[in-house]
Amino acid sequence: MNVISHHDLVVLLLGMATMLILSRIASELARSVKFPVVMGEILIGIFLGPTLLGNFAPDISSYVFPTTGSAALALNAITKIAVVMMLFVAGMEVQLPVVLKQGKAAFYTSSLSMVIPFAIGFVISWYYPHWFGQSNDTKLLFSLFFGTALSISALPVIARILIDMGLFKTKIGMIIIASAMFDDLLGWLIFSFILSSKKGADTGVEFTYTIIYIIGFGLFMLTIGRKILDKIMPWMQQKLSWPGGVLSISLGICFLSAAFTESIGIHAILGAFIAGIAIGDSVHLKEKAREIIYQFVTNIFAPLFFVSIGLKVNFIENFNGSLVLLVLVVAYVGKVTGASLGARLGGFTRKESLAVGFGMNARGAMEIILGTLALQAGLINEPIFVALVIMALLTSLTSGPMMRLFLDQSYFNNTKTIENN
Amino acid sequence: MEPDYTKLKKRPAYPFETVAVAIAFSPRLEAILMETKRMVNMFGSQLVIIHVGKKDAHHEEVLDKLMNKIGFAKIKFRVIWMEGEPIDTILKLCKLNVVDLLVLGALEKENLYKYYVGSIARTISRRAKCSVLLLTNPSINPKKMRKIVVNGVDNAKTIHTLKTTHYLAKHEKIADFTVVQEVNTPLLSMTIAESGTEPEVSKIKKEMQEEDFSRLNTLINAIDKQGINIDLKIVKGKPGYAISNFARQNHYDLIVFNSPDTHLGIFDRIFTHDIEYVLADMPCNLLIVHSRV
Repeated sequence: MNVISHHDLVVLLLGMATMLILSRIASELARSVKFPVVMGEILIGIFLGPTLLGNFAPDISSYVFPTTGSAALALNAITKIAVVMMLFVAGMEVQLPVVLKQGKAAFYTSSLSMVIPFAIGFVISWYYPHWFGQSNDTKLLFSLFFGTALSISALPVIARILIDMGLFKTKIGMIIIASAMFDDLLGWLIFSFILSSKKGADTGVEFTYTIIYIIGFGLFMLTIGRKILDKIMPWMQQKLSWPGGVLSISLGICFLSAAFTESIGIHAILGAFIAGIAIGDSVHLKEKAREIIYQFVTNIFAPLFFVSIGLKVNFIENFNGSLVLLVLVVAYVGKVTGASLGARLGGFTRKESLAVGFGMNARGAMEIILGTLALQAGLINEPIFVALVIMALLTSLTSGPMMRLFLDQSYFNNTKTIENN
Repeated sequence: MEPDYTKLKKRPAYPFETVAVAIAFSPRLEAILMETKRMVNMFGSQLVIIHVGKKDAHHEEVLDKLMNKIGFAKIKFRVIWMEGEPIDTILKLCKLNVVDLLVLGALEKENLYKYYVGSIARTISRRAKCSVLLLTNPSINPKKMRKIVVNGVDNAKTIHTLKTTHYLAKHEKIADFTVVQEVNTPLLSMTIAESGTEPEVSKIKKEMQEEDFSRLNTLINAIDKQGINIDLKIVKGKPGYAISNFARQNHYDLIVFNSPDTHLGIFDRIFTHDIEYVLADMPCNLLIVHSRV
């Protein structure tokens, strides 16, 4: 059996400690100025990676974060597991009943906030693939990816903005949340299909089988699988040690599901995401257990993942101003137009609809995960990845202020009055 | 010609001037009629008995005998026999007769097939344009409802549901009833767990709880209580499931809900939420108040 050497183990532990401690400091600073936590983590990655430290002190950078050897391999495996766990947690956030409950307004908002950015992204990259460094051979999968990347939303960022604005439990807040949940579900399903198609094209698995597998697995897990998990959850919470039992079984189911989807040619993330929805939807899952899983993943594995992004990509070398501008314009126009139009059709006023549009525009960590997976799969090149990261951060930063712009003080006063009445 | 339903519009949820009972000639018929009789006597209502099926001498005789045995002679009632599809026919007859409360017998739990496809009683309760009382264990010796719990969900209909429950409590001559506010914030917990400090998290949760309390207190204060005490309880858990569980654990006799805001379909049963949790496994009798607002 191959074992990691003493030196590599020290390097791995040193690297992880550096990533966790520095990202925590940066995240706290970001939090104190109301910036998304992920921003601090990404910046630390950029600082430690080839963009800065690798450029100015390459010896230190390559010692702590080697690109070859078992320490590098181990870190790579840890970040891959981190993605699986982050998608599991993202799935736990998706509450399908919340989407159903919001009815017509959520249906219009979520559909149009998905369809319009997807269509805009797809059409632009289909007709102008060279703008994105793509050829005619690669443009189909790229166009599908780009459309999906523009249509996804970042639920935790959006929820945080709504809490800070006191809109979390209002009608507008619930519509944004429900629509973002729906967009996430559909977005990850489509993205899994794209990744599987890419893998299938490389390994020879047929396109039709990929679709059948994804739909079949999704339907099974969201119906029968979900009910089974709901039935065993009380047993787990009563008979096994708490919260250890629930944690290990839940994560075990996540890995099992991820392993299954990976083995049948669908990416592991889909298995984890759907397992998250199924477990997160259980009425028996205690809030404390949910919080512990979330804390464990977002404070240990997520920082390792987001910092590792900066370790792999040189953000200065791969910065392409015109591409960044193009991605930003398309992202803002697509999402704000789609979501606002949907909200308007769902019965909101013009100003409220625009606020919904900008609320849904936050892409945050989800976009960065999506971009990283696409980069690893060879779907996109590094300049597009950098543009997507910048877009994810900027959309998250501008969501709150733009919502405030359209929801003036009178809206907040009216909301309170309606609630009081 | 389309019947005239204008009498229904904006008609208040109470008083229950007209009570209807939909009957089948099942072993529970006598018990359902006894329970209905108690309601009609209590509210001073007129009664409409609906049977969807062919009117024949045998069934007419059975019903007459039963009515005499129960002692319906002293109350105003009409029996309507009509053939047709049961759900649509009952719903239509309720509208035509301006029924305020429809009484139905219901099993506590349907088998999986019936639950997903939709049993008659549950489908009617989802679609009715009047209040519906589902009785899980009707008895030939009906007892008054002593413990009532109301879902205090943040919805414009809730004030009407509270007032209707108060009306019911007054007629049942009970001293108090409970209003439950369900608190379910998984997304909130996860979001603030990521980017909030312990005091901040507690503060946000406390503020939201206080907001709920204050909202419900405002609603409760708007009711002329007439000596009936209204307790306020916060229960953690998924909407619908939490109150259902609370009612079961505390042995309530009746759980009261607003009528659904949207047409509930099979997806609402697969991805269960709100009242569907109660309909899936009824902890006690269920009153769905249709406020017609």
